[in-house]
Amino acid sequence: MSRTGLGTVRAIADRIADRMLSASVLERLALAVASTILALLIGAIIVAASGYDAVEFVSALVFGAVGNLSNIAFTLRQSTMLILTGVAVAVAFRAGVFNIGVQGQFVVGGLAGTLAVLVLVPLLPAGVATGVAIMALAALAAIIAGGAYAALPGMMKAYAGANEVITTIMLNFIAAGVVYFLIDAYLKPPGAAAPNTAAFPDYVDLPGVAFGSPSFSVIGLGIALLTVLVVYVLMARTSFGYDLVTSGHQEPAAKYSGVDPKRMIVRTMTISGMVAGLAGAMFAIMILGYYSDPNSFPTFGFDAIAVSLLGANNPLAVVPAGILFGGLDAGGQYIGFTLDVPSELVDGVIGLIVLFVAVPELFRMAGRYTGLGGEHQ
Amino acid sequence: MSTGDRVAVDLQNVTKRFGDVVANDAVSLTLKAGSVHALVGENGAGKTTLMNVLYGLYDPDDGRIVVDGEERAFDSPRDAIDAGIGMIHQHFQLVDNMTVLQNIVLGHEPSSRGLVDDADARDRITEICETYGFSVHEHLDTRIEDLGLGVQQHVEIVKSLYRGADTLVLDEPTAVLTPQEVEGLFEVMAELTAQGHSLIFITHKLDEAMEAADHVTVLRDGKAVGTVGAGKTSRSDLARMMVGRDVLFDFQPRTGTPGTVTLGVEELRVSDERDLAQVRDVDLTVREGEILGIAGVEGNGQSELVEAITGMRTPDAGSVTLDDTDITDMSRRRRIEAGIAYVPGDRQEEGLVQDYDLVRNALLGNQTIEPYANGRILDWQAASEHAEHIVEAYDVRPRNTQAAAESLSGGNQQKFVVGRELERDLTLLVAAHPTRGVDIGSIEFIHERLRDIRDEGVAILLVSSKLDEVQKLSDRTAVMYEGEFVDVVDPDAVTEHDLGLMMAGQPIDESTDTAQDTEAQP
Repeated sequence: MSRTGLGTVRAIADRIADRMLSASVLERLALAVASTILALLIGAIIVAASGYDAVEFVSALVFGAVGNLSNIAFTLRQSTMLILTGVAVAVAFRAGVFNIGVQGQFVVGGLAGTLAVLVLVPLLPAGVATGVAIMALAALAAIIAGGAYAALPGMMKAYAGANEVITTIMLNFIAAGVVYFLIDAYLKPPGAAAPNTAAFPDYVDLPGVAFGSPSFSVIGLGIALLTVLVVYVLMARTSFGYDLVTSGHQEPAAKYSGVDPKRMIVRTMTISGMVAGLAGAMFAIMILGYYSDPNSFPTFGFDAIAVSLLGANNPLAVVPAGILFGGLDAGGQYIGFTLDVPSELVDGVIGLIVLFVAVPELFRMAGRYTGLGGEHQ
Repeated sequence: MSTGDRVAVDLQNVTKRFGDVVANDAVSLTLKAGSVHALVGENGAGKTTLMNVLYGLYDPDDGRIVVDGEERAFDSPRDAIDAGIGMIHQHFQLVDNMTVLQNIVLGHEPSSRGLVDDADARDRITEICETYGFSVHEHLDTRIEDLGLGVQQHVEIVKSLYRGADTLVLDEPTAVLTPQEVEGLFEVMAELTAQGHSLIFITHKLDEAMEAADHVTVLRDGKAVGTVGAGKTSRSDLARMMVGRDVLFDFQPRTGTPGTVTLGVEELRVSDERDLAQVRDVDLTVREGEILGIAGVEGNGQSELVEAITGMRTPDAGSVTLDDTDITDMSRRRRIEAGIAYVPGDRQEEGLVQDYDLVRNALLGNQTIEPYANGRILDWQAASEHAEHIVEAYDVRPRNTQAAAESLSGGNQQKFVVGRELERDLTLLVAAHPTRGVDIGSIEFIHERLRDIRDEGVAILLVSSKLDEVQKLSDRTAVMYEGEFVDVVDPDAVTEHDLGLMMAGQPIDESTDTAQDTEAQP
């Protein structure tokens, strides 16, 4: 009796797995939306059970994310950062290199971009063209610095066998400490108390274009999406991308196909760090307009790990994952400003949503892993 | 032990379908207690599927399984194990970094008062080993990864016996073994049946089936073609049953004359991961249009030699030249681009990316080569067409280039790898065990293709642990023992017996050595 029961369960699991594995991109997006709504319903019950107004809570969460133009701008601003850092994580994870140091590379990249701005502004005449040139050079400096800061643990892993998870975590602290010291000791204007650099001039900023928010620019989001596209094409359409992804799947086979595993690790980390560095410049120029104590920054580089994993480390899927996380972040912060609800409850409901969206994807991965679904011999 | 008529396992009209594919079509098989029953067939004939049904991994769509006279339905391997059925998979199910003892008791850990108590287990394992003549109990605290494949297989068998298996299913147990280890395995099998165990022996090597089994059942395209007594059949009868047509076993005469030297190796010394010298001052040359076969018991430095030539491993000393160019320090990728194709001995780990489909696997090693890459940009259309071509030309089944490599049977995986490497624009082919795990029809085909490209002027370095393969294909045969070439001989002028002696490290004396072009190494 229980035997046939188990067999039936397996048959059902097999059929569900089959369905999940063959789901199209649109179906998966629809599934994510449905999961979000379901999680919101359950979250509402929990909120109500805790003695708060569930309707008010859910409407504040949604309003905070997409309720008006400025809230949407805030969502997209957070999304821009999460997409960029998410792609940085995804590149490394796809190659089987666990770069947990995106936050540190982001911080170092931001500093390099800031330095470029602060050095170049006094040398060049003010103006829009100058602004564009300075921002381009600042981005370049940030990309180089982020890449170099990531290449370091890459080399330590490749040539000395140091575990990159540990070294990149430690380098996060070093980055935050050193950048704080540099700003506090050398870069803050004379007499200032706060550890902030001088503000950038008005022309060194990305124009808002549509949303009228000083800290979000459609151009910034465009740059993030362009980066996604570049990384996607690199990974899916080039020899190098094939080398990279194959290294992540099965290193001995990659080596057989002509990949030098040590150099591959360093290159992967460098590219990951370059994207993280670009995110740093984006943060300094688009959001702050100056540079500050990294310990006060949002932890985009860590949230990016969840974003990347939710997108199965696929650069294209990082976009919807980044937007979801951006929206939840914006909505959660809005609840914090407006409602008298414990922040733990807010985090709990947001966690529930992430979990619900992730489960179908987890199921897909588990289906692949256990070999359920599909035809096999 | 009245083993005469008792039936250990009776499979009756077992049918298993995967979608539209009928993997087993009303297959019946009767295993008499105390006997060895060989199950032979080409790759994809349904051998493994049938055994997975017996082992509880698949639910049969139809048919009955009778074990010891009782009809059973297994939902999981655990049920099968409880019914006294053990399975030794082709790829061992052992945890590499755990000890032999831990592996044997895994899932059945003996305990006393809640703590693992292995004293009892050690005694029982020792008893099992002494009964059946294994030496596994001498390595109980050794990690699996430090043992040879032959011993690992013994560990697998002891593990099944420890769990009380009466019937053992051995899935292609000889595929990974050297000829000596195969002999050892047959002795073990004889001992097991003498003690009353019943064995199902999956193989596609006809000699082995006839040597080790009492009965042979042939599967073809999911159907049981017939069952014969091993003593009442011949190799060619079995072969005809397997492939449904006649297979030529006779050797073909060598044609053509080798040209200039393509591959030159001088005083090459190579070490393994543990820094132990595995290749000691080997010299060799392979000419255009020539096959140099390297015979030898596996583990005598053949893989390190091959890896140094193909750029997978850096030699300690010596030189490698390709068409007079020194390539000793050339990267693996540059060597691929220079026209060195390589069929690796380890197709699972190196030759294929298991969770890539065949299109992406067709690109493996080709990712910087035109027409698959234009500059640095990949042409997936070209890769896809190439995969189609390999699948068609090398009869890879299923004919689906979207299938993941891991979903193919071992033999089809091998055919794909061989196809991909042979279809390169190549000047040198290094082939390590090119027909390992491949069925007899495909072996013929691969051999033909090897001869074809040899005749087109490609230099081929062939490493194989199958003596008949080396003798049949090679124009010159080198025998490798403990990292050195014992001798290089003319395969037509040397007997299998002499080759066997050389593989054990004894050079044959001058009077019997009639080969020209001999470079004896002291």
